[in-house]
Amino acid sequence: MMDPARWERVQALFHAVADLPPDQRTEVLETEAAGDQTLIHEVRALLEVDRDQHALLGQDLASVASSVLNDADPRRLFDQPFGPYRLVRLLGEGGMGVVYLGTRADLASVAAIKILRDTLSPSRRHRFAVEQRTLAQLSHPAIAQLFDAGTLPDGTPWFAMEFVEGLPVTDYCTQRGSSLAERLSIFRAAALAVQHAHQHAVIHRDIKPSNVLVRTDGAVKLLDFGIAKHFADIDADQAEQTRTGLRLLTPAYAAPEQFTGGPLGTPTDVYALGAVLFELLTGRRASDHSRDAADGANASRAATAPRPSAVPGAPVSASRSEWADLDVICRAAMHADPARRYQTVDALVRDLDRYLAGTPLEARADSLGYRIGKFVRRNTRAVAAAGIVAAAAVVMAVFYTVRLADARDLAVAQVERTERIQRFMLNLFAGGEGAVGPADSLRVVTLVERGIQEARSLRAEPEVQAELYLTLGSIAQKLGRIAQADTLIRAGLDLRRERFGPLHADVAKATVGLGLLRLDQAQLDAADSLTRQGMTVSEALLPANHPDVLAARTAVGQVLSARGDYPGAIALLSETRDRYLADATTPEFASTLSVLASAHFYAGNYHTSDSLNRRVLAMTQQLYGPSHPLVAEDLANLGAIQQDLGHYPEAERYHRQALAIVEPWYGSDHHRTALALTLVGRSLVFQQRRGEAVPLLERALAIRERVFGPDHPSVASTLSDLGSIAMAEGRLDEAEGRFTRMVSIYRTVHGPNHYLVATALSNLASVAVERQDYLRAERLYREAIEGYRQSLGPDNLNTGIARIKLGRALLRQRRHGDAATESLAGYEILTKQADPAVSFLRAARTDLAAAYTALGNTAAADRFRAELAETSIPPKP
Amino acid sequence: MDQDKQAFDDLFSLAYEELRRLASSVHRDDPYASMNPTALVHEAWLKMANSPGLAATSHLHFKRIAARAMRQILVDAARRRNARKRGAGVAVITYDDAAAALPTSADELLGLHAALEELARLSPRQASMVESRFFGGLDTREIAEDLGISEATVLRDWRAAKAWLGRELQRSL
Repeated sequence: MMDPARWERVQALFHAVADLPPDQRTEVLETEAAGDQTLIHEVRALLEVDRDQHALLGQDLASVASSVLNDADPRRLFDQPFGPYRLVRLLGEGGMGVVYLGTRADLASVAAIKILRDTLSPSRRHRFAVEQRTLAQLSHPAIAQLFDAGTLPDGTPWFAMEFVEGLPVTDYCTQRGSSLAERLSIFRAAALAVQHAHQHAVIHRDIKPSNVLVRTDGAVKLLDFGIAKHFADIDADQAEQTRTGLRLLTPAYAAPEQFTGGPLGTPTDVYALGAVLFELLTGRRASDHSRDAADGANASRAATAPRPSAVPGAPVSASRSEWADLDVICRAAMHADPARRYQTVDALVRDLDRYLAGTPLEARADSLGYRIGKFVRRNTRAVAAAGIVAAAAVVMAVFYTVRLADARDLAVAQVERTERIQRFMLNLFAGGEGAVGPADSLRVVTLVERGIQEARSLRAEPEVQAELYLTLGSIAQKLGRIAQADTLIRAGLDLRRERFGPLHADVAKATVGLGLLRLDQAQLDAADSLTRQGMTVSEALLPANHPDVLAARTAVGQVLSARGDYPGAIALLSETRDRYLADATTPEFASTLSVLASAHFYAGNYHTSDSLNRRVLAMTQQLYGPSHPLVAEDLANLGAIQQDLGHYPEAERYHRQALAIVEPWYGSDHHRTALALTLVGRSLVFQQRRGEAVPLLERALAIRERVFGPDHPSVASTLSDLGSIAMAEGRLDEAEGRFTRMVSIYRTVHGPNHYLVATALSNLASVAVERQDYLRAERLYREAIEGYRQSLGPDNLNTGIARIKLGRALLRQRRHGDAATESLAGYEILTKQADPAVSFLRAARTDLAAAYTALGNTAAADRFRAELAETSIPPKP
Repeated sequence: MDQDKQAFDDLFSLAYEELRRLASSVHRDDPYASMNPTALVHEAWLKMANSPGLAATSHLHFKRIAARAMRQILVDAARRRNARKRGAGVAVITYDDAAAALPTSADELLGLHAALEELARLSPRQASMVESRFFGGLDTREIAEDLGISEATVLRDWRAAKAWLGRELQRSL
């Protein structure tokens, strides 16, 4: 038998003789083979073939390929039974398979039989099976139904589905000369079918007119789930689906992220629906108007979504203002950036309904300002949660998650009805997005800057200008650009005061807004007085259950809670709660309940707090469905509470539930997924399961770096988490590296004197303490303290904590006098807090006792020792 | 290693799909058109070179993997063709089918495939070489570069491999 060594020998001999004249070969062979007759025989056989050349290896394979690739013989298919069906005729061929018309003799009914054309490729077989499973799962009058499925004797899979005899939606409307209302009604039916699929976690990915058929009776059917995907499968084979999916999708209706390989989700289908709507309204393909249709992958296509009203020769007639609304709907559906589209088909349908009902659209508010607000809120939470030092940050985290879906958004929506604002918003969002890329929050910053420029030019319209200042101010506030927010909100308030005088509902509302800003600035007295002032005016001018009144009262409750007046907050908010309809299910109500839940939480009424939060959760689930990201937000809130309660396994459970919603919804490469991963990671850290947390946090870090770029606060936040873990596990070099990057990011983003820079410096200092490099620690703490002083004020909790830490670093240097000064200063700051950080207070007492002992001040030392003894560590709540 | 394998599988599927698509489109448009795998591989590269999935892939690497995909496509097709011919209980076989006129191509191809498997056991390098050249149209220089050997070695290896395969095919058919 031939083995590799033998083959080597055969070859060697073959080469030795191959180029010799035949008559000289024998001699060499005999000599070299040394009597091995088999060897000689083998070499001779090779020489023979070498001379003749084998036919197959000589030809260029073309004819072989042609013959073997000659596809299935279709005639044979007609002789086979497909379950109860037999084929009648070919209906068409798609990317995946061939579709025949089949009949069923026993029932005299017909079906479309789809047969996988190429059964060789495992990925094709898989996709075919997925399509079948998808259809089986969906049951909707506008989705073709699955009847039967099976496999032919040669292994070819097939399935039978409802046969739809109809025209592509565009052809149907053209042939009938359908009116605008008819077109919209048909479109709406198709959109609802897509929405149904989304509710079953299926995205279609190939919506186009030829997949939306209309029967002669007017019934709409959505077809071809051939490249549809379950949310759950998407990240599993993101690479596969973007690559092979690339060739299968239909460029004219595919969303930009389908070309670029970006994460796919419900907005991907929203885009395609937008493109279909565009075509129904204009009779032209949107792709011909937004990009070079020949080159679908060209990135420049993304620049702007087309405007149906700009296309000449539309087959429908509509008034100018109707066109303006339709423009908005199409553009909001076809925004190049999936994050700025309607996030759900439901939102698109709602706007369509508003349009049909003639009521104001919320598209702009919803898809632009509102969602930016939401994003920013999210981001703020990440920012707020960044510090490992600040106990306050944890408190703030819960605070910020309180939803602020307040009347401001409605007001913005109304103001935006004006042409002026529409242009303003579009200008705001038009420029530079291709170049800037997806660094969302940095982009939001730029947008705010640009918005301010634009708003300044609106002097002739002070009311609009005021509204914009206030909106931009509130965005800036959420971004943590507090000084800018301050300027803007005050400018807006001043404009309104000037125009309306002090006793006006809009003035009251803006006053409440300024009060909430003061709350962020931790100027609690000012916050209290402003929110109360706004509340009083609102209550005097508006009905007791007016949204502005309820929002103002909720704001006052928030301030009371922040001051530590939990009973006051609870009383006020409970009464506010009773002013809502008892069975109301609105975002505003949820927001009030959520603030109330926080107040109960701080008051120690964990049970009440928890049940309120559960109610908020239920409300959100009802408002938005069980898998909506807002539900995830509530779960994250519940998780945050459990985390604070020290119930880390429960926190983990909530955060994992949130992750299970967020990840399929936004995709595994989305910043929200990164946040959800982070929260799960943190709950694990607190359970001392750091090893499990690290991969989650690493993933979060990678996502954030990719999505936001390397210099982003949320990257810094994850670095903080990972750095802390590294420190806890004694990997000091890693910790130092992470914290150093954190410092540099915060400096880049916020400038040198931001409290987050201070927090990062303080983290870095703790590494120095671990290394017992107390001089370096001292330098870093001093820098941090200066940062806290400048940004948060000398009496802030964080300033106090940092001084206590500095005190300890000094104590280690045996500089007892300096140590006592710092520890005492920190101690005094902490004792003035409504919610002092107990462990730091205790550390201060310990250090002060030690310092004073060393200094010989026995009386002072005894005092702190006595305090220590009194305040035996209370178990962490 | 798993990642490499994943990357290879991804690229393989990609090439496979594209080649399959090209092959069937050639066939649909003109049943008598010659289907030259080398040309198909080249065309596939032209179409796919700019796609995101191939950003980090060299032309040579692509051709190498495409050759394997091409081999797989042809072998699977040949198997299926034979399975159909031999299919138990098949009611009607229509011998006027164009494919039936060339019954040996599929067998030859399967024979070559089996022989290549055997050659891979004896000398993976030679098997890889034949696959690249025969199914992917890689020329001597490209094979040398791919395998990191001299062109002279390629020519020597190729000659011996071809002779050996020819003999195996004679035996099996």
